[in-house]
Amino acid sequence: MAPNAESPLVRLASDSRRDFKNLLSARQRTSDGLLNRRGQLAGLDHDKDASVVLMGSWGRAEVTAGSDDDFMLLVDGPERPGASPSIDAIADVLDTPPGSQGAFGEPVFCDRLVEDIGLDRDSNTNLTRRMLFLLESVPLTAAAVYSGGRDRILERYLDESVKDYRPPRFLLNDVVRYWRTVCVDFAGKEREGPEKWGIRNAKLRTSRKVLFAGGLLPVLESSRFDREAMPAFLREQFDMPPTDRIAAAFLNHGAIDAGSRTLGAYDEFLGLLDDSSFRDELEHLTREEAGKSDAFARVGRLGRELQAGLLALLFETESALPELVREYAIF
Amino acid sequence: MEQSRGDWGDQVSRAWAITPFAVELSALSEVELVPLLDYLSDRPRLPFRYLSVHGPSKGRESDEAELVAQLCDLAGWCDGIVMHPDTMTNVDLYKALGRQLLIENMDARKCSGRTPDELAPLFADLPDAGFCFDIAHAWSIDRSMSVAGELLDMFGGRLRQVHLSSLSDDLHHVSLTEDHEDLFGPALERCVDVPWILEAPPRAVH
Repeated sequence: MAPNAESPLVRLASDSRRDFKNLLSARQRTSDGLLNRRGQLAGLDHDKDASVVLMGSWGRAEVTAGSDDDFMLLVDGPERPGASPSIDAIADVLDTPPGSQGAFGEPVFCDRLVEDIGLDRDSNTNLTRRMLFLLESVPLTAAAVYSGGRDRILERYLDESVKDYRPPRFLLNDVVRYWRTVCVDFAGKEREGPEKWGIRNAKLRTSRKVLFAGGLLPVLESSRFDREAMPAFLREQFDMPPTDRIAAAFLNHGAIDAGSRTLGAYDEFLGLLDDSSFRDELEHLTREEAGKSDAFARVGRLGRELQAGLLALLFETESALPELVREYAIF
Repeated sequence: MEQSRGDWGDQVSRAWAITPFAVELSALSEVELVPLLDYLSDRPRLPFRYLSVHGPSKGRESDEAELVAQLCDLAGWCDGIVMHPDTMTNVDLYKALGRQLLIENMDARKCSGRTPDELAPLFADLPDAGFCFDIAHAWSIDRSMSVAGELLDMFGGRLRQVHLSSLSDDLHHVSLTEDHEDLFGPALERCVDVPWILEAPPRAVH
Protein backbone atom coordinates (compact mmCIF):
# COMPACT_ATOMS: atom_id res chain seq x y z
CA MET A 1 0.00 0.00 0.00
CA ALA A 2 3.05 2.26 -0.10
CA PRO A 3 3.03 4.79 -2.95
CA ASN A 4 4.14 3.31 -6.26
CA ALA A 5 4.38 4.55 -9.80
CA GLU A 6 1.44 2.38 -10.92
CA SER A 7 -0.91 4.02 -8.43
CA PRO A 8 -3.59 6.13 -10.17
CA LEU A 9 -3.09 8.78 -7.49
CA VAL A 10 0.62 8.97 -8.30
CA ARG A 11 -0.17 9.14 -12.02
CA LEU A 12 -2.70 11.93 -11.43
CA ALA A 13 -0.09 13.78 -9.37
CA SER A 14 2.43 13.41 -12.16
CA ASP A 15 0.01 14.40 -14.94
CA SER A 16 -1.19 17.48 -13.05
CA ARG A 17 2.17 18.45 -11.55
CA ARG A 18 0.94 18.16 -7.98
CA ASP A 19 2.50 16.23 -5.15
CA PHE A 20 -0.43 15.22 -2.88
CA LYS A 21 2.19 15.16 -0.17
CA ASN A 22 -0.20 14.47 2.71
CA LEU A 23 -1.97 11.60 0.98
CA LEU A 24 1.27 10.01 -0.14
CA SER A 25 2.94 10.40 3.21
CA ALA A 26 -0.15 8.91 4.87
CA ARG A 27 0.17 5.96 2.50
CA GLN A 28 3.77 5.50 3.57
CA ARG A 29 2.77 5.74 7.23
CA THR A 30 0.02 3.16 6.58
CA SER A 31 2.45 0.82 4.86
CA ASP A 32 5.01 1.09 7.66
CA GLY A 33 2.34 0.62 10.31
CA LEU A 34 0.92 -2.46 8.60
CA LEU A 35 4.37 -4.03 8.46
CA ASN A 36 4.90 -3.34 12.12
CA ARG A 37 1.50 -4.66 13.21
CA ARG A 38 1.74 -7.78 11.06
CA GLY A 39 4.95 -8.58 12.91
CA GLN A 40 3.28 -7.98 16.26
CA LEU A 41 0.31 -10.22 15.42
CA ALA A 42 2.37 -13.04 13.91
CA GLY A 43 2.71 -14.70 17.30
CA LEU A 44 -1.04 -14.92 17.95
CA ASP A 45 -2.71 -18.28 17.38
CA HIS A 46 -5.31 -18.05 14.62
CA ASP A 47 -8.16 -20.35 13.70
CA LYS A 48 -7.59 -21.29 10.08
CA ASP A 49 -10.73 -19.39 8.97
CA ALA A 50 -9.93 -16.17 10.91
CA SER A 51 -8.34 -12.96 9.69
CA VAL A 52 -7.56 -9.77 11.57
CA VAL A 53 -8.63 -6.87 9.36
CA LEU A 54 -7.92 -3.17 9.82
CA MET A 55 -10.63 -0.70 8.84
CA GLY A 56 -11.14 3.06 8.58
CA SER A 57 -8.11 5.16 7.81
CA TRP A 58 -6.00 1.98 7.51
CA GLY A 59 -8.28 0.68 4.79
CA ARG A 60 -8.16 4.04 3.03
CA ALA A 61 -4.34 4.15 3.39
CA GLU A 62 -4.76 7.49 5.14
CA VAL A 63 -3.29 6.92 8.57
CA THR A 64 -2.55 10.15 10.43
CA ALA A 65 -1.19 10.83 13.90
CA GLY A 66 -4.64 10.57 15.49
CA SER A 67 -5.77 7.35 13.77
CA ASP A 68 -7.11 4.47 15.87
CA ASP A 69 -6.42 0.81 15.13
CA ASP A 70 -10.01 0.08 14.12
CA PHE A 71 -9.95 -3.69 13.60
CA MET A 72 -12.35 -6.50 12.83
CA LEU A 73 -11.89 -10.21 13.51
CA LEU A 74 -13.33 -11.75 10.36
CA VAL A 75 -14.31 -15.42 10.50
CA ASP A 76 -15.10 -17.02 7.16
CA GLY A 77 -16.50 -20.20 8.67
CA PRO A 78 -19.14 -21.59 11.03
CA GLU A 79 -20.52 -19.30 13.69
CA ARG A 80 -19.20 -20.34 17.08
CA PRO A 81 -18.08 -18.96 20.40
CA GLY A 82 -14.40 -18.69 21.20
CA ALA A 83 -13.02 -17.86 17.77
CA SER A 84 -9.28 -17.32 17.94
CA PRO A 85 -7.54 -14.95 18.28
CA SER A 86 -9.89 -13.27 20.73
CA ILE A 87 -10.83 -9.60 20.44
CA ASP A 88 -9.04 -8.93 23.75
CA ALA A 89 -5.87 -10.66 22.58
CA ILE A 90 -5.78 -8.54 19.40
CA ALA A 91 -6.52 -5.35 21.36
CA ASP A 92 -3.63 -6.13 23.71
CA VAL A 93 -1.22 -6.18 20.78
CA LEU A 94 -2.41 -3.12 18.85
CA ASP A 95 -1.39 0.41 19.87
CA THR A 96 -4.68 2.25 19.96
CA PRO A 97 -7.57 -0.21 19.60
CA PRO A 98 -11.11 1.18 19.51
CA GLY A 99 -13.46 0.63 22.44
CA SER A 100 -15.23 -2.71 22.82
CA GLN A 101 -18.54 -1.13 21.78
CA GLY A 102 -19.52 -0.46 18.21
CA ALA A 103 -19.60 -2.55 15.06
CA PHE A 104 -16.37 -4.43 15.64
CA GLY A 105 -16.40 -5.32 19.34
CA GLU A 106 -17.10 -8.99 18.53
CA PRO A 107 -16.06 -11.46 15.83
CA VAL A 108 -17.74 -10.88 12.47
CA PHE A 109 -18.91 -14.03 10.73
CA CYS A 110 -18.80 -13.78 6.98
CA ASP A 111 -21.96 -15.88 6.60
CA ARG A 112 -23.96 -13.05 8.16
CA LEU A 113 -22.40 -10.48 5.83
CA VAL A 114 -23.22 -12.66 2.81
CA GLU A 115 -26.59 -14.12 3.73
CA ASP A 116 -28.23 -11.19 5.53
CA ILE A 117 -28.33 -8.55 2.83
CA GLY A 118 -31.60 -6.64 3.03
CA LEU A 119 -34.71 -7.22 5.12
CA ASP A 120 -34.84 -7.04 8.92
CA ARG A 121 -31.85 -9.30 9.54
CA ASP A 122 -29.58 -6.82 7.78
CA SER A 123 -29.16 -4.57 10.78
CA ASN A 124 -27.44 -1.20 10.68
CA THR A 125 -24.41 -2.95 12.23
CA ASN A 126 -24.38 -5.73 9.62
CA LEU A 127 -24.63 -3.23 6.76
CA THR A 128 -21.83 -1.14 8.27
CA ARG A 129 -19.58 -4.17 8.72
CA ARG A 130 -20.17 -5.39 5.17
CA MET A 131 -19.66 -2.04 3.49
CA LEU A 132 -16.57 -1.07 5.44
CA PHE A 133 -15.10 -4.52 4.80
CA LEU A 134 -15.76 -4.14 1.09
CA LEU A 135 -14.85 -0.45 0.65
CA GLU A 136 -12.17 0.42 3.24
CA SER A 137 -10.34 -2.50 4.81
CA VAL A 138 -6.98 -4.20 4.63
CA PRO A 139 -5.91 -7.59 6.01
CA LEU A 140 -3.40 -7.69 8.83
CA THR A 141 -3.28 -11.49 8.97
CA ALA A 142 -4.51 -14.40 6.83
CA ALA A 143 -4.88 -12.48 3.58
CA ALA A 144 -6.35 -15.54 1.86
CA VAL A 145 -9.22 -15.69 4.39
CA TYR A 146 -9.80 -11.96 3.86
CA SER A 147 -9.90 -12.32 0.06
CA GLY A 148 -12.12 -15.37 0.24
CA GLY A 149 -14.63 -13.56 2.44
CA ARG A 150 -14.68 -10.53 0.18
CA ASP A 151 -15.13 -12.73 -2.90
CA ARG A 152 -18.15 -14.39 -1.31
CA ILE A 153 -19.76 -11.00 -0.73
CA LEU A 154 -19.06 -9.92 -4.29
CA GLU A 155 -20.48 -13.20 -5.63
CA ARG A 156 -23.66 -12.58 -3.67
CA TYR A 157 -24.02 -9.09 -5.11
CA LEU A 158 -23.10 -10.18 -8.63
CA ASP A 159 -25.84 -12.78 -8.79
CA GLU A 160 -27.98 -13.88 -11.72
CA SER A 161 -29.65 -10.47 -11.90
CA VAL A 162 -26.50 -8.84 -13.23
CA LYS A 163 -26.54 -7.94 -16.92
CA ASP A 164 -23.64 -7.47 -19.31
CA TYR A 165 -22.48 -3.88 -19.67
CA ARG A 166 -24.83 -2.57 -16.99
CA PRO A 167 -23.88 -1.51 -13.47
CA PRO A 168 -24.80 -4.23 -10.93
CA ARG A 169 -27.88 -2.66 -9.36
CA PHE A 170 -27.94 -4.83 -6.23
CA LEU A 171 -24.46 -3.69 -5.23
CA LEU A 172 -25.10 -0.13 -6.44
CA ASN A 173 -28.21 0.17 -4.30
CA ASP A 174 -26.43 -1.14 -1.22
CA VAL A 175 -23.49 1.27 -1.67
CA VAL A 176 -25.92 4.18 -2.02
CA ARG A 177 -27.97 2.87 0.92
CA TYR A 178 -24.86 2.77 3.08
CA TRP A 179 -23.94 6.39 2.26
CA ARG A 180 -27.46 7.57 3.02
CA THR A 181 -27.41 5.52 6.25
CA VAL A 182 -24.21 7.25 7.33
CA CYS A 183 -25.85 10.64 6.68
CA VAL A 184 -29.05 9.72 8.54
CA ASP A 185 -27.08 8.24 11.44
CA PHE A 186 -25.14 11.50 11.71
CA ALA A 187 -28.41 13.23 12.52
CA GLY A 188 -29.39 10.40 14.89
CA LYS A 189 -26.09 10.65 16.78
CA GLU A 190 -26.50 14.41 17.13
CA ARG A 191 -29.88 13.88 18.75
CA GLU A 192 -28.26 11.50 21.26
CA GLY A 193 -25.75 14.16 22.27
CA PRO A 194 -23.56 16.97 20.93
CA GLU A 195 -20.26 15.18 21.56
CA LYS A 196 -17.92 14.95 18.59
CA TRP A 197 -20.37 16.80 16.32
CA GLY A 198 -17.54 18.78 14.73
CA ILE A 199 -15.29 15.88 13.79
CA ARG A 200 -18.24 13.78 12.62
CA ASN A 201 -19.47 16.62 10.43
CA ALA A 202 -15.96 17.18 9.05
CA LYS A 203 -15.59 13.51 8.17
CA LEU A 204 -19.03 13.39 6.59
CA ARG A 205 -17.97 16.22 4.27
CA THR A 206 -14.64 14.57 3.42
CA SER A 207 -13.53 11.04 4.26
CA ARG A 208 -17.07 9.55 4.32
CA LYS A 209 -17.74 11.19 0.96
CA VAL A 210 -14.48 9.82 -0.42
CA LEU A 211 -15.49 6.37 0.82
CA PHE A 212 -18.86 6.64 -0.94
CA ALA A 213 -17.36 7.93 -4.18
CA GLY A 214 -14.73 5.20 -3.95
CA GLY A 215 -17.54 2.65 -3.97
CA LEU A 216 -19.94 4.35 -6.37
CA LEU A 217 -17.42 4.96 -9.16
CA PRO A 218 -16.17 1.36 -9.55
CA VAL A 219 -19.74 0.06 -9.49
CA LEU A 220 -20.77 2.48 -12.26
CA GLU A 221 -17.57 1.69 -14.18
CA SER A 222 -18.48 -2.01 -14.07
CA SER A 223 -20.76 -1.28 -16.99
CA ARG A 224 -17.69 -1.37 -19.24
CA PHE A 225 -17.57 -5.16 -18.75
CA ASP A 226 -19.65 -8.23 -19.37
CA ARG A 227 -20.82 -10.10 -16.30
CA GLU A 228 -17.97 -12.60 -16.51
CA ALA A 229 -15.35 -9.86 -16.24
CA MET A 230 -17.05 -7.76 -13.54
CA PRO A 231 -15.84 -9.69 -10.46
CA ALA A 232 -12.19 -9.39 -11.47
CA PHE A 233 -12.60 -5.67 -12.19
CA LEU A 234 -14.26 -5.01 -8.85
CA ARG A 235 -11.67 -7.10 -6.96
CA GLU A 236 -8.91 -5.09 -8.62
CA GLN A 237 -10.65 -1.84 -7.73
CA PHE A 238 -11.32 -2.80 -4.10
CA ASP A 239 -7.69 -3.88 -3.71
CA MET A 240 -6.83 -0.20 -4.17
CA PRO A 241 -7.50 2.54 -1.61
CA PRO A 242 -10.56 4.71 -2.37
CA THR A 243 -8.40 7.67 -3.41
CA ASP A 244 -6.82 5.48 -6.12
CA ARG A 245 -10.25 4.43 -7.37
CA ILE A 246 -11.29 8.07 -7.55
CA ALA A 247 -8.05 9.17 -9.20
CA ALA A 248 -8.46 6.36 -11.76
CA ALA A 249 -11.94 7.63 -12.62
CA PHE A 250 -10.71 11.20 -13.15
CA LEU A 251 -7.89 9.90 -15.36
CA ASN A 252 -10.15 7.57 -17.35
CA HIS A 253 -12.67 10.31 -18.05
CA GLY A 254 -10.16 12.96 -19.07
CA ALA A 255 -10.79 15.20 -16.07
CA ILE A 256 -7.23 15.63 -14.88
CA ASP A 257 -7.60 19.28 -13.86
CA ALA A 258 -10.71 18.69 -11.79
CA GLY A 259 -9.18 15.52 -10.37
CA SER A 260 -6.08 17.35 -9.21
CA ARG A 261 -8.17 19.97 -7.41
CA THR A 262 -10.58 17.42 -5.92
CA LEU A 263 -7.87 15.23 -4.46
CA GLY A 264 -5.83 18.34 -3.71
CA ALA A 265 -8.62 19.57 -1.43
CA TYR A 266 -8.76 16.17 0.24
CA ASP A 267 -4.97 16.14 0.57
CA GLU A 268 -5.16 19.48 2.34
CA PHE A 269 -7.85 18.18 4.70
CA LEU A 270 -5.70 15.17 5.55
CA GLY A 271 -2.76 17.45 6.31
CA LEU A 272 -4.93 19.49 8.67
CA LEU A 273 -6.23 16.34 10.37
CA ASP A 274 -2.66 15.32 11.08
CA ASP A 275 -2.30 18.49 13.18
CA SER A 276 -3.34 17.63 16.74
CA SER A 277 -4.55 21.14 17.61
CA PHE A 278 -6.75 21.25 14.50
CA ARG A 279 -8.14 17.80 15.23
CA ASP A 280 -8.74 18.70 18.89
CA GLU A 281 -10.70 21.79 17.88
CA LEU A 282 -12.98 19.67 15.70
CA GLU A 283 -13.25 16.91 18.33
CA HIS A 284 -14.69 19.36 20.85
CA LEU A 285 -16.78 21.47 18.51
CA THR A 286 -20.57 21.57 18.83
CA ARG A 287 -23.05 22.81 16.26
CA GLU A 288 -23.67 25.94 18.34
CA GLU A 289 -19.98 26.92 18.25
CA ALA A 290 -19.32 25.90 14.64
CA GLY A 291 -19.95 29.37 13.19
CA LYS A 292 -17.06 30.79 15.20
CA SER A 293 -14.55 28.04 14.39
CA ASP A 294 -11.82 28.73 11.83
CA ALA A 295 -11.08 25.02 11.66
CA PHE A 296 -14.70 24.25 10.80
CA ALA A 297 -14.79 27.01 8.18
CA ARG A 298 -11.68 25.58 6.55
CA VAL A 299 -13.15 22.08 6.49
CA GLY A 300 -16.36 23.48 5.04
CA ARG A 301 -14.51 25.12 2.16
CA LEU A 302 -12.40 22.03 1.46
CA GLY A 303 -15.47 19.83 1.65
CA ARG A 304 -17.27 22.00 -0.90
CA GLU A 305 -14.28 21.85 -3.26
CA LEU A 306 -14.11 18.08 -2.88
CA GLN A 307 -17.81 17.72 -3.61
CA ALA A 308 -17.71 20.14 -6.54
CA GLY A 309 -14.94 18.10 -8.13
CA LEU A 310 -16.76 14.81 -7.66
CA LEU A 311 -19.97 16.31 -9.05
CA ALA A 312 -18.07 17.62 -12.06
CA LEU A 313 -16.70 14.13 -12.66
CA LEU A 314 -20.13 12.55 -12.36
CA PHE A 315 -22.12 15.16 -14.29
CA GLU A 316 -19.87 17.33 -16.45
CA THR A 317 -17.29 15.09 -18.12
CA GLU A 318 -17.38 14.35 -21.82
CA SER A 319 -17.80 10.63 -21.28
CA ALA A 320 -20.37 7.94 -20.60
CA LEU A 321 -20.32 8.66 -16.87
CA PRO A 322 -23.00 11.42 -16.78
CA GLU A 323 -25.37 9.17 -18.71
CA LEU A 324 -24.72 6.31 -16.29
CA VAL A 325 -25.35 8.58 -13.31
CA ARG A 326 -28.58 9.83 -14.82
CA GLU A 327 -29.78 6.34 -15.69
CA TYR A 328 -28.75 4.44 -12.57
CA ALA A 329 -27.73 6.62 -9.64
CA ILE A 330 -31.03 8.23 -8.74
CA PHE A 331 -33.72 5.54 -9.21
CA MET B 1 -22.55 45.98 -14.04
CA GLU B 2 -21.02 49.34 -13.18
CA GLN B 3 -24.46 50.71 -12.30
CA SER B 4 -24.63 48.41 -9.25
CA ARG B 5 -21.39 49.69 -7.71
CA GLY B 6 -21.84 49.90 -3.94
CA ASP B 7 -25.46 48.72 -4.08
CA TRP B 8 -24.97 45.29 -2.56
CA GLY B 9 -28.65 44.45 -2.48
CA ASP B 10 -28.93 45.13 -6.20
CA GLN B 11 -25.79 43.07 -6.94
CA VAL B 12 -27.22 40.17 -4.96
CA SER B 13 -30.64 40.41 -6.62
CA ARG B 14 -29.14 40.53 -10.10
CA ALA B 15 -26.90 37.55 -9.36
CA TRP B 16 -29.75 35.59 -7.78
CA ALA B 17 -31.81 36.05 -10.92
CA ILE B 18 -29.12 34.18 -12.85
CA THR B 19 -27.99 31.51 -10.40
CA PRO B 20 -28.36 30.59 -6.74
CA PHE B 21 -24.93 28.94 -6.74
CA ALA B 22 -22.25 31.60 -6.93
CA VAL B 23 -21.84 35.33 -6.63
CA GLU B 24 -18.97 37.79 -6.46
CA LEU B 25 -19.55 41.14 -4.77
CA SER B 26 -17.27 43.93 -5.89
CA ALA B 27 -15.66 46.46 -3.59
CA LEU B 28 -13.39 47.91 -6.23
CA SER B 29 -12.47 50.97 -4.20
CA GLU B 30 -11.33 51.04 -0.60
CA VAL B 31 -14.25 53.12 0.60
CA GLU B 32 -16.61 50.32 -0.34
CA LEU B 33 -15.02 47.77 2.02
CA VAL B 34 -16.60 48.89 5.29
CA PRO B 35 -20.11 49.26 3.82
CA LEU B 36 -19.76 45.77 2.31
CA LEU B 37 -18.67 44.31 5.65
CA ASP B 38 -21.62 46.05 7.31
CA TYR B 39 -23.95 44.65 4.66
CA LEU B 40 -22.69 41.07 5.05
CA SER B 41 -22.54 41.08 8.83
CA ASP B 42 -25.92 42.74 9.30
CA ARG B 43 -28.04 39.92 7.93
CA PRO B 44 -28.30 36.13 7.75
CA ARG B 45 -25.70 34.57 5.51
CA LEU B 46 -26.52 34.97 1.83
CA PRO B 47 -27.99 31.79 0.34
CA PHE B 48 -25.37 31.29 -2.37
CA ARG B 49 -23.26 28.13 -2.26
CA TYR B 50 -20.19 30.22 -3.07
CA LEU B 51 -19.49 33.88 -2.32
CA SER B 52 -16.37 35.80 -3.23
CA VAL B 53 -15.48 39.45 -2.86
CA HIS B 54 -13.45 41.42 -5.39
CA GLY B 55 -11.07 43.61 -3.41
CA PRO B 56 -9.99 47.15 -4.31
CA SER B 57 -8.35 47.44 -7.69
CA LYS B 58 -8.19 51.22 -8.19
CA GLY B 59 -7.59 54.41 -6.28
CA ARG B 60 -5.65 52.78 -3.49
CA GLU B 61 -4.72 55.33 -0.83
CA SER B 62 -4.97 53.77 2.63
CA ASP B 63 -2.27 51.99 4.55
CA GLU B 64 -1.83 48.51 3.08
CA ALA B 65 -1.77 46.77 6.48
CA GLU B 66 -5.09 48.43 7.28
CA LEU B 67 -6.47 47.29 3.92
CA VAL B 68 -5.42 43.69 4.54
CA ALA B 69 -6.96 43.80 8.02
CA GLN B 70 -10.27 44.88 6.45
CA LEU B 71 -9.99 42.11 3.87
CA CYS B 72 -9.38 39.59 6.67
CA ASP B 73 -12.58 40.78 8.36
CA LEU B 74 -14.44 40.27 5.09
CA ALA B 75 -12.89 36.83 4.64
CA GLY B 76 -14.96 35.61 7.57
CA TRP B 77 -18.07 36.20 5.47
CA CYS B 78 -17.01 34.75 2.13
CA ASP B 79 -15.12 31.95 0.42
CA GLY B 80 -12.48 34.03 -1.33
CA ILE B 81 -11.07 37.54 -1.79
CA VAL B 82 -10.00 38.36 -5.35
CA MET B 83 -7.04 40.73 -5.73
CA HIS B 84 -5.16 42.13 -8.70
CA PRO B 85 -1.41 41.49 -8.49
CA ASP B 86 -0.54 45.09 -9.41
CA THR B 87 -2.39 46.41 -6.34
CA MET B 88 -0.34 44.30 -3.93
CA THR B 89 2.86 46.01 -2.79
CA ASN B 90 3.84 44.41 0.50
CA VAL B 91 3.06 40.83 -0.49
CA ASP B 92 3.86 39.33 2.90
CA LEU B 93 0.89 41.13 4.43
CA TYR B 94 -1.49 39.10 2.29
CA LYS B 95 -0.32 35.81 3.81
CA ALA B 96 -2.85 36.52 6.55
CA LEU B 97 -5.61 35.70 4.05
CA GLY B 98 -4.23 32.19 3.56
CA ARG B 99 -6.00 30.14 0.91
CA GLN B 100 -8.87 32.64 0.80
CA LEU B 101 -6.71 35.04 -1.19
CA LEU B 102 -7.39 34.60 -4.92
CA ILE B 103 -4.96 36.22 -7.33
CA GLU B 104 -6.36 37.19 -10.71
CA ASN B 105 -4.39 37.23 -13.99
CA MET B 106 -4.27 40.66 -15.63
CA ASP B 107 -5.19 41.94 -19.08
CA ALA B 108 -3.06 43.51 -21.80
CA ARG B 109 -3.41 47.02 -20.36
CA LYS B 110 -1.26 46.04 -17.39
CA CYS B 111 2.47 45.52 -17.44
CA SER B 112 2.62 42.67 -14.92
CA GLY B 113 0.59 39.72 -13.58
CA ARG B 114 -0.44 38.65 -17.06
CA THR B 115 1.42 35.46 -17.83
CA PRO B 116 2.62 32.38 -15.94
CA ASP B 117 6.14 33.78 -15.72
CA GLU B 118 4.90 37.10 -14.34
CA LEU B 119 2.60 35.46 -11.79
CA ALA B 120 4.94 32.69 -10.65
CA PRO B 121 7.00 34.80 -8.19
CA LEU B 122 3.82 36.07 -6.52
CA PHE B 123 2.41 32.58 -6.07
CA ALA B 124 5.80 31.43 -4.81
CA ASP B 125 5.63 34.11 -2.11
CA LEU B 126 2.01 33.21 -1.32
CA PRO B 127 1.97 29.41 -1.39
CA ASP B 128 -1.56 29.12 0.00
CA ALA B 129 -3.14 31.62 -2.40
CA GLY B 130 -5.67 30.44 -4.96
CA PHE B 131 -6.03 31.45 -8.60
CA CYS B 132 -8.89 33.43 -10.15
CA PHE B 133 -8.67 32.71 -13.88
CA ASP B 134 -9.95 35.62 -15.96
CA ILE B 135 -10.26 33.97 -19.34
CA ALA B 136 -10.93 37.21 -21.22
CA HIS B 137 -7.80 38.77 -19.72
CA ALA B 138 -5.82 35.76 -20.96
CA TRP B 139 -7.38 36.20 -24.43
CA SER B 140 -6.29 39.87 -24.46
CA ILE B 141 -2.69 38.70 -24.00
CA ASP B 142 -2.80 35.93 -26.58
CA ARG B 143 -5.73 35.44 -28.93
CA SER B 144 -4.60 31.91 -29.79
CA MET B 145 -5.45 31.04 -26.15
CA SER B 146 -2.05 29.44 -25.60
CA VAL B 147 -1.40 31.67 -22.58
CA ALA B 148 -4.78 30.63 -21.17
CA GLY B 149 -3.71 27.00 -21.40
CA GLU B 150 -0.33 27.77 -19.88
CA LEU B 151 -1.94 29.60 -16.97
CA LEU B 152 -4.10 26.54 -16.28
CA ASP B 153 -1.11 24.22 -16.69
CA MET B 154 0.86 26.25 -14.18
CA PHE B 155 -1.77 27.28 -11.64
CA GLY B 156 -4.66 24.88 -12.31
CA GLY B 157 -4.10 23.16 -8.99
CA ARG B 158 -4.87 26.47 -7.24
CA LEU B 159 -7.86 27.37 -9.40
CA ARG B 160 -10.85 28.37 -7.28
CA GLN B 161 -12.99 30.41 -9.69
CA VAL B 162 -13.26 31.73 -13.24
CA HIS B 163 -14.12 35.24 -14.46
CA LEU B 164 -16.06 34.84 -17.69
CA SER B 165 -16.88 37.50 -20.28
CA SER B 166 -15.67 38.90 -23.57
CA LEU B 167 -13.80 42.20 -23.83
CA SER B 168 -14.63 45.30 -25.81
CA ASP B 169 -12.07 46.99 -28.06
CA ASP B 170 -10.97 49.12 -25.12
CA LEU B 171 -10.72 45.95 -22.96
CA HIS B 172 -13.81 46.43 -20.83
CA HIS B 173 -15.89 43.40 -19.89
CA VAL B 174 -18.88 42.76 -22.13
CA SER B 175 -21.25 39.83 -22.56
CA LEU B 176 -19.64 36.65 -23.81
CA THR B 177 -19.90 36.52 -27.58
CA GLU B 178 -20.74 33.39 -29.54
CA ASP B 179 -17.28 33.40 -31.10
CA HIS B 180 -15.63 33.57 -27.70
CA GLU B 181 -17.88 30.86 -26.34
CA ASP B 182 -16.40 28.55 -28.97
CA LEU B 183 -12.87 29.87 -28.61
CA PHE B 184 -12.87 29.66 -24.82
CA GLY B 185 -14.52 26.24 -24.75
CA PRO B 186 -11.41 24.04 -24.44
CA ALA B 187 -10.01 26.12 -21.57
CA LEU B 188 -13.37 26.29 -19.80
CA GLU B 189 -13.71 22.50 -20.02
CA ARG B 190 -10.72 22.37 -17.70
CA CYS B 191 -12.58 24.44 -15.13
CA VAL B 192 -15.89 22.59 -14.81
CA ASP B 193 -15.59 22.03 -11.07
CA VAL B 194 -15.14 25.66 -9.96
CA PRO B 195 -17.62 28.59 -9.92
CA TRP B 196 -17.82 30.73 -13.06
CA ILE B 197 -18.46 34.38 -12.31
CA LEU B 198 -20.02 36.32 -15.20
CA GLU B 199 -18.37 39.73 -15.42
CA ALA B 200 -21.05 41.04 -17.76
CA PRO B 201 -24.73 40.12 -18.13
CA PRO B 202 -25.33 36.96 -20.14
CA ARG B 203 -25.94 37.48 -23.83
CA ALA B 204 -29.59 37.49 -24.82
CA VAL B 205 -30.41 34.19 -26.53
CA HIS B 206 -32.88 34.42 -29.38
